[in-house]
Amino acid sequence: MLFRYISKRFAVGLLQLIGLTIAVFFLIRLLPADPVSRLVGMNASPEAYAQAAKQLGVDRPLLAQLATYLGFQPEIAPGLLQGSLGVSWVTGTPVTAEIAAYLPVTLELVTLSFILALAVAVPIGMFGALNPGGKADKGVFVYSLFAGSQPEFWWGLLFVYLFFFTLGIAPAPLGRLSPMSSPPDVVTGFMTIDSLIAGQFDLFVEALHHLMLPVFTMAFILSGPIIKMVRQNMARALQSDFVLYANCAGLPKRRVAGYALRAAMAPSMTLIGILYGFMLSGAVLTESVFSLGGIGQYAINAVLNYDYPAIQAVVLVITAISLVVYLALDLIHAAIDPRIAF
Amino acid sequence: MHREAAAVAERPETMAARTVLSVENLVVGYPVDGRMVKPVDGLSFKVHEREVVGLIGDAGSGKSTAALALLGLARPPGKILGGRVEFDGRDLLKLPEAEIRAIRGRDIGIIVQNPRSSLNPMLRIGKQIGYAYEAHNQASGTEVRRKVIEMLRMVGINDPESRAEAYAHELSGGMAQRALIAMALSSKPKLLIADEPTSGLDVTIQAQFLDEMWNTVQKTGSAILLITQELGTLANYCDRVLVLHEGRIVEDAPVRQFFANPQHPYSQQILKLQRERGHSLGLPPVEAGTRPLLATTDLRKTFAVRHTKKLIQAVDKVSLTIGRGETLGLVGESGSGKTTVGRCMLRLLEPSSGSVVFDGEDLVKLPPNDMRRYRSKLQIVFQDPFDSLNPRWSIRRILTEPLDLHTKLSTADKRRRAEELMDLVDLDRALLDRRPRGLGAGALQRINIARALACNPEFIVLDEPTSVLSPRARVGLIELLVRLQKELGISYLFISHDLTTVRYLCHKVSVMYLGQIVETGTVEQVFSKPRHPYSQALLSAHLFPDPTNRRVDSVIPAALEGEIPSPIDLPHGCYLASRCPHVVEACRATPQALEPLEGGQSVRCWRAVAGEIQAFGGAHA
Repeated sequence: MLFRYISKRFAVGLLQLIGLTIAVFFLIRLLPADPVSRLVGMNASPEAYAQAAKQLGVDRPLLAQLATYLGFQPEIAPGLLQGSLGVSWVTGTPVTAEIAAYLPVTLELVTLSFILALAVAVPIGMFGALNPGGKADKGVFVYSLFAGSQPEFWWGLLFVYLFFFTLGIAPAPLGRLSPMSSPPDVVTGFMTIDSLIAGQFDLFVEALHHLMLPVFTMAFILSGPIIKMVRQNMARALQSDFVLYANCAGLPKRRVAGYALRAAMAPSMTLIGILYGFMLSGAVLTESVFSLGGIGQYAINAVLNYDYPAIQAVVLVITAISLVVYLALDLIHAAIDPRIAF
Repeated sequence: MHREAAAVAERPETMAARTVLSVENLVVGYPVDGRMVKPVDGLSFKVHEREVVGLIGDAGSGKSTAALALLGLARPPGKILGGRVEFDGRDLLKLPEAEIRAIRGRDIGIIVQNPRSSLNPMLRIGKQIGYAYEAHNQASGTEVRRKVIEMLRMVGINDPESRAEAYAHELSGGMAQRALIAMALSSKPKLLIADEPTSGLDVTIQAQFLDEMWNTVQKTGSAILLITQELGTLANYCDRVLVLHEGRIVEDAPVRQFFANPQHPYSQQILKLQRERGHSLGLPPVEAGTRPLLATTDLRKTFAVRHTKKLIQAVDKVSLTIGRGETLGLVGESGSGKTTVGRCMLRLLEPSSGSVVFDGEDLVKLPPNDMRRYRSKLQIVFQDPFDSLNPRWSIRRILTEPLDLHTKLSTADKRRRAEELMDLVDLDRALLDRRPRGLGAGALQRINIARALACNPEFIVLDEPTSVLSPRARVGLIELLVRLQKELGISYLFISHDLTTVRYLCHKVSVMYLGQIVETGTVEQVFSKPRHPYSQALLSAHLFPDPTNRRVDSVIPAALEGEIPSPIDLPHGCYLASRCPHVVEACRATPQALEPLEGGQSVRCWRAVAGEIQAFGGAHA
């Protein structure tokens, strides 16, 4: 049953990806942009222009380009079917390799931020719901007004000023490691994991140290909506008949709170999934402030350079990750709440 | 003093009974628009050991709020504002949190009205019952497990091992109620608070269920506070009656004394019919020998089951006749097809086959336009008075809508008619400009009736019109319906599962089971001499409000076993065969026909026709 459900979701996801790939392929080509002249410059000779166009393959009919991109003409160039996302028009390196370099940065940042945000926000939201109108509840209200009303790059800058410049407890916002250290061998692309694999514990600490402020910034922003959501869902659960009855049956306070938390977390999963997908591309502001060079920055560069293969690849990859995250959270939701049937 | 003396006379063994619970001046408030509304305001009463105390009151009289407050709880944002709840000599409201938690569930168990939503939807019920037990008892994992299975078996759940693994949404309402009881009784509480424990259960299950509860208390020597809106439950199971009215106890009397000589005006109102009229209201007699106003012949209605070729047999060859000024009661468990019959008669649902002859005209054959002419003659009143009125319309607009559709009256005439209708159903004309919001169920149901009466109908289908009403409103509505019939000569089809009301209102009764009529006869015939085993079971399970013939004092006849079969795959022979105590092999093979008996009674059971089934004494007729 579960296996069938997962395979079905993957099949549907695959269809979505194919549809999206084709849609994006045509949509970017609808842009009033000329990637060739962007590449060869405005003053290039018609011959140079034509040669560049030929090199990029944009001189061919659109459907032929699509077929190549999808991988139906491996004799011209490897495509999606061959597991290739194409070659970047700007750098000339395979996009797959570039994504592999940029994506882990963002995944690491966003995932750690979510873990931190959940670890902080869930207990706070729960506490607020258990003691409505209490001091914690009021504090949370002020905080969520604050955190939600300022953009994250502003908070990032503020934290840099405070923790790096004034207090000096955070490293300079200049990347994932200090410029003097050499990174560990790339295995997964995640600095924290790679340093551990390499057995360089000092590098692991350093990587965490550099992630401290960006993660803190993102978690600070993310916690607001999560606290609100948990508090609201929890307050609703606390008013439910089954919590009232649990009290009637004299269950210990901890168990009753557990009942309510579980009931509150189930519907929260959906929102967390949406937030995660959103943050994959939305982390770009934080990445910029801390010079992290994640997928968000990569995407922006790709768009600015009309680097079509790169743009397509970013859309595809982020969508694929979002689909997987949604599926995982739906499975967690179903595990928490048995009323969800596949 | 007098009351206490009576109590002693009634149950000598309670003379020295210890007081289990003593409530004094309890007040519970809810903040509404900045002020405190107090649904419980100065509640005081006592419950003794081994006593079953009934608490009756109208909807909104504070019954459920009071029940929770006895445990020191209030549904948020409510608060207990004052008073004492003394249990075992300690005031629960002054105990520290941890101590009162220890008492809840261990010493005082509670069963609530909405069992399914009161079970945690995310945990298997066995686990929940285990948690409740663990909270109050030292036990290892396997001991808890054993206890859970034992409790589930005790409350009559078949195959408790696998049921323990079920989630609340996988259980029927009755099953969930049993699970809740298993939880409430797992620590053997000294006091059980049961808040309308049988609401939503079918008659046959309801009686079984209260029997079990009563037996458990007798066995374990605990006490019960039974909260109810049903006089029948009070009369059959309670030793003493408390009447809750506007947040406080207005009457406290032993059950027989309460029924024989109620003191408070509210008690007198709810007992009015029993006291003034006995079992029957002296209905206007029906002229014999005339052509019936409405007759159905072989009415059938089937519904297709989605994604299959199967059919649900909702109504199967139902033939009924209703004379002018006559009321026919249609009774049976939920799912028996009563409502579908009513709707097919008015062609709110198209019958699959058969005829509905009204005043010489077969309605089923009429083209839609001609049918419209008859709409004003045939009306319906639904079960839920809230849902059947547009909440955004004024009462006046609700009452004049049928006049707009069916008459060419002037605006002034319509206004006058609306006022007339309000007078007819005993409502204040001032309500005409209000909206349904804020009116009680009783008043709304009267408005529904007034709307049905607007165009002078000759026939009204009443689909469980009293089932959501409080005891007082129910009495009023029954009287109203009888009066309207006397004054206007209307015929009713009264669909109900409440046999007490049917006995007051109906001339004839038809008993339905799985889409078929299994017995028809006059009220006297069916109530005093039911012939069909199903009618017998239904009547013996019904709780008549008669404390001189209590169910707990008499030997209870065999109840039907098992559940109603699915209406999709019906058995070939008698539909009741799988549950019938009189079943023989021939029953399973032979389809049953409705055969006439002497005196106009007819029954769908060959053994009853052959005189092989004892007509049981009709315990309450």
